[in-house]
Amino acid sequence: MKSRRHPLRRSLLCAALAVAPLMALPDASHADTADKKIALSNNYAGNSWRQLMLASWQQTTDKAVKDGLIASADSFTTAENQATEQAAQIQNLILQGYDAIVINASSPTALNGAVKQACDAGIIVVSFDGTVSEPCAYRISMDFKQTGIEQMDYLSERFPQGANVLEVRGLAGVSVDERIHSGITAGAQKHPNLKVIGEVNGNWSPTVAQKAVSGVLPSLPKVDAVVTQGGEGVGIAQAFVAAGRPLPAIIFGNREEELSWWKKQSDTQGYQSFSISSGPSISSLAFYVAQQLLDGKQMPHDLLSPAVTVTQQTLDASLKDLPKGGIVSETYSVDDVAKLKPAASL
Amino acid sequence: MNAPLNSVARAPVAARNNAARRARMLRAALPAVSLVVLLATIFIMQPRAMSYMGLNLMLNLAVPIALATIAQMLIISVNDLDLSMGSFISFVACVAVTLLDQHPFLGWLALAGCVGVYAVLGALIHSRNLPSIVVTLGMSFIWVGGAILLLPSPGGTAPQWLQALVRIKPPLIPLAIIVCIVLGLAMHFFLMRSTVGVVLRGAGGNPLAIAKAGWSLLRIKVAMYAMAGGFGVLSGLFLVGLTTSADANVALRYTLLSIAGVILGGGEFVGGRVSPMGAVLGALTLVLAGSLLSFIRISPDWQIGAQGAILIFVLALRAAVNRMEVRPL
Amino acid sequence: MNANGPVRVAFAGAGKSFGAVRALSDVDLSVRAGECLGLIGHNGAGKSTLMQVLAGTLAADCGQLLIEGRDLRQGYSVQVARQHGIRCVFQELSLCPNLNVAENTRLMSPALRGFGWRRRAGELIEAMLEQIFPGHGIEADDIVADLSIGKRQMVEIARAFINVDERLDLIILDEPTSSLDARVAEQLLRHVRRFAEGGGSIVLISHILGEMLGTCDRIAVMRDGRIVETRAARDFTHDSLVEVMGGTAREQQQATEDFASRREQGSPRVEQRPARQADGRTVQAFAGEIVGLSGLAGHGQSQLLTQVLRDCVKHGSGASFVAGDRQTDGVFALWSIAENITIGSLNQLKRGLLLNPDAEQAMADDWMKRMSIRTPDMSNPILSLSGGNQQKALFARALASDSQIILMDDPMRGVDVGTKREVYSILMEEAARGRTFIWYTTELEELTYCDHVYVFRDGQAVLDMPRSELSEERILRSSFAEETP
Repeated sequence: MKSRRHPLRRSLLCAALAVAPLMALPDASHADTADKKIALSNNYAGNSWRQLMLASWQQTTDKAVKDGLIASADSFTTAENQATEQAAQIQNLILQGYDAIVINASSPTALNGAVKQACDAGIIVVSFDGTVSEPCAYRISMDFKQTGIEQMDYLSERFPQGANVLEVRGLAGVSVDERIHSGITAGAQKHPNLKVIGEVNGNWSPTVAQKAVSGVLPSLPKVDAVVTQGGEGVGIAQAFVAAGRPLPAIIFGNREEELSWWKKQSDTQGYQSFSISSGPSISSLAFYVAQQLLDGKQMPHDLLSPAVTVTQQTLDASLKDLPKGGIVSETYSVDDVAKLKPAASL
Repeated sequence: MNAPLNSVARAPVAARNNAARRARMLRAALPAVSLVVLLATIFIMQPRAMSYMGLNLMLNLAVPIALATIAQMLIISVNDLDLSMGSFISFVACVAVTLLDQHPFLGWLALAGCVGVYAVLGALIHSRNLPSIVVTLGMSFIWVGGAILLLPSPGGTAPQWLQALVRIKPPLIPLAIIVCIVLGLAMHFFLMRSTVGVVLRGAGGNPLAIAKAGWSLLRIKVAMYAMAGGFGVLSGLFLVGLTTSADANVALRYTLLSIAGVILGGGEFVGGRVSPMGAVLGALTLVLAGSLLSFIRISPDWQIGAQGAILIFVLALRAAVNRMEVRPL
Repeated sequence: MNANGPVRVAFAGAGKSFGAVRALSDVDLSVRAGECLGLIGHNGAGKSTLMQVLAGTLAADCGQLLIEGRDLRQGYSVQVARQHGIRCVFQELSLCPNLNVAENTRLMSPALRGFGWRRRAGELIEAMLEQIFPGHGIEADDIVADLSIGKRQMVEIARAFINVDERLDLIILDEPTSSLDARVAEQLLRHVRRFAEGGGSIVLISHILGEMLGTCDRIAVMRDGRIVETRAARDFTHDSLVEVMGGTAREQQQATEDFASRREQGSPRVEQRPARQADGRTVQAFAGEIVGLSGLAGHGQSQLLTQVLRDCVKHGSGASFVAGDRQTDGVFALWSIAENITIGSLNQLKRGLLLNPDAEQAMADDWMKRMSIRTPDMSNPILSLSGGNQQKALFARALASDSQIILMDDPMRGVDVGTKREVYSILMEEAARGRTFIWYTTELEELTYCDHVYVFRDGQAVLDMPRSELSEERILRSSFAEETP
């Protein structure tokens, strides 16, 4: 079976490569993948982020199937969030003849055996969020550094005359915190008008952030803006209110409670801000990556996904459909695949 | 006059013996029948599975589970239960991707040590008359702790020879099936047919009688636990051969899977009633049940429940067969 | 009868204590080659303990254990006993229920090994069964759990007589006939005589005086851990044996004369058709009646009891069950004696939602006195009691409950005469108060206590006799062949 598949795959790929430059990109996505099947292998569905991630997959793929972009795209979730179980699941998916498997993995390494088997069977493997380290697979990770830079970009535009910025960081020692922080630092260098006057750890929790900010506020001069890592915005605002200090521009992290608070302030006091974070709809982006790869498009194996942003203009629209406790998510389209940047190394 | 009298008296007794025998046969056949039904369903749903590659893909992760089930069966046959099986196998996997890969000698030493620890556990449980559930539950934390110390974050590499070994592709029949058949037959001959096996199983059936017959229960338990440890090591090695790397939680679910496998295969928690062939079949059934659900495309929300339903269904059949075994007077 | 052979084994001043209880004190006893020695006494008199010492499963604290003249007490064990040709068939069955007959045979004969051991073991045990119990109906690959308790006993006995490249001089049979019906017991006793006449030695423990008197060369009587009397069997009579044991000879039952049927008015409290009954006949039991079930062992009596129990549970009318197979049906092995008794009466012992420990204690102590259960403390584990006393505790459990129907599944198996007598009188007393007893028994003597006796054959009740018509001969006849009542 394997030996029959390989030449077929290769010739398909060659044909696609040869034809691709001749076609306009958006239209090229249709014809060749209409009979392909993509599966989502997901290790866990027990929190709201994962539920939204699955919902996003469902929404995107339903539309793709209806539009004839793809034959089918089913999602499978393992019961016990265990690597051996997911490995068995992936092997079953290989057997079922899927052309591509999109994985949110329970372990970066323990699935490598099964992933390799899939690659050997000529199946395209795309991992996201929980990525796998097997070289033959594709990885889509959040571009955390970029979210830091974008926060500073916004502030630079908002305060052209310069501003004092307080940085609320996440959990010390975690790589995500390091990467966002490096983005903030890079942004500060890029925009000399912004001055980082303080740095506290908010541990991605509103209550911890509130305490940390309250503790540091008395020693700080006027704070014009606060950069965050997402999710702790409301706590920070409360710290400022409690200290009787004027509210700075706080960058939010797309959580519903943050956006609601922002909306209230904006309606009553004309408060303005910006919100940025990773979105669970990264699953639909992974779907499009897999679809494009099936279509023959060449991509680097390590990709960075953009962040989801909410601006003053899109606030009302973002908040409208957001359920209580939800996170803003963007529905990606095929075109977003082209905007993905390769990661130097992760 | 005497002969007809005798036959009248013996007739119902003979009938009862036959009924019991039939029920026993049925019970022994049940794991095989469930497996065949499951396989047939899978082949109908997914003809692609009916190939060398298909069987290999579906079953190669069943081999470590079958080995773990055999290990659990050895413990269950002396009326104990090992709740640390999964964490033990995870620990072995972590040893295999770290020590065994980098310092083979140390690695083998550590694995031999693991078997030794199991032997000591058996001795401890017997001589102090401790409940095995408590001891092994405690041990499960120790194994996981050890695994995290060895391999703090997921990774490591299984030795090349190990990876090559589990990927051997024998002609005609996939390795997984050969290993399962050899494992089942070997254990059947050892435990069910050999004189040693009789004594070992007897220790589960009536320990007092075994002691009165002059056998050492301590040695029996130590031997059973050491063998269980040995099969646990094999299971862990086979597993990392397939996954190529490990993490400290890689095999946690094997604890319950192995117990379910033994019971599905016709074993019972007490009384030394176990079946090695059944245990292997039970392990395969569990793995294939997962495949089937995935092929049927049952919604993920229902898959866990459906897997449980299959288990309950097979066990209900077992219970029905058990009722046919007329309780002797 | 050969009572003058050389002494094979002898105890001299042997003693054994369990904590404060002296189970054996100053025992002197010898067993000669070629004799069958009977050992008799109350439950708890120390017979089983003495035999366990001889078999090597318990060690004596003091005295001598002389085998062929040498004291082997130090370091004596099961293996040493076997090396000297001594084996024991224990009272509590020591077969492994999960193994088949041939495999159980192998457990006792380490010499069976190598290729084909299974076949050889099977042939040996089948031949031995055929020799002792002709027409036994047991096959070598039967799983022991599938066999009735009587057949298990047969396997256990036959297994002890098998000899592969070993010495076999002395076999201890501890109540071997307790689970056997009369015909099979007779076969066994004949074999015992043959074995003794062939030069082997047997120690036989039994509560059935007739078989002791008819089989043994000498009988030793034990009481309170001592040997109180050893005589040639022919010098004992039924009455003198009972007397020496410490009981009093039983007066002849006068019951047949003063029989008054309770069936004149009212409706039966229990009416049950045996599951395999071909005609419409039912087993009935009225208030205040003791109803006996008889016939050969394993002919549907126990199933009838189960049927009645199931119906009673279904209709919510209470019924208590006294099991004969203590190990599987009766005792909660890990619980205390008191807990084993009060478990049947938890509703009476409630205070609010919780159990009242004082009431529990009081009930336990009350029944300890009424049943004279021999124990220093009712909170001891149930297994610390001897077999007969465990059975008393099971009776206490049933009688302490408020159920009006009490089912008994051959509960007197292996219980000594004195205890039996005590229990019988309590049964009569309780029946007079209006309780109904349904009693399956293998001992014909016990049927004289019953108001009605149903004889079972092939799962059917074939004969219904009121006490006034009771006759042993009719019971035997209808047990074996067709008889129109």
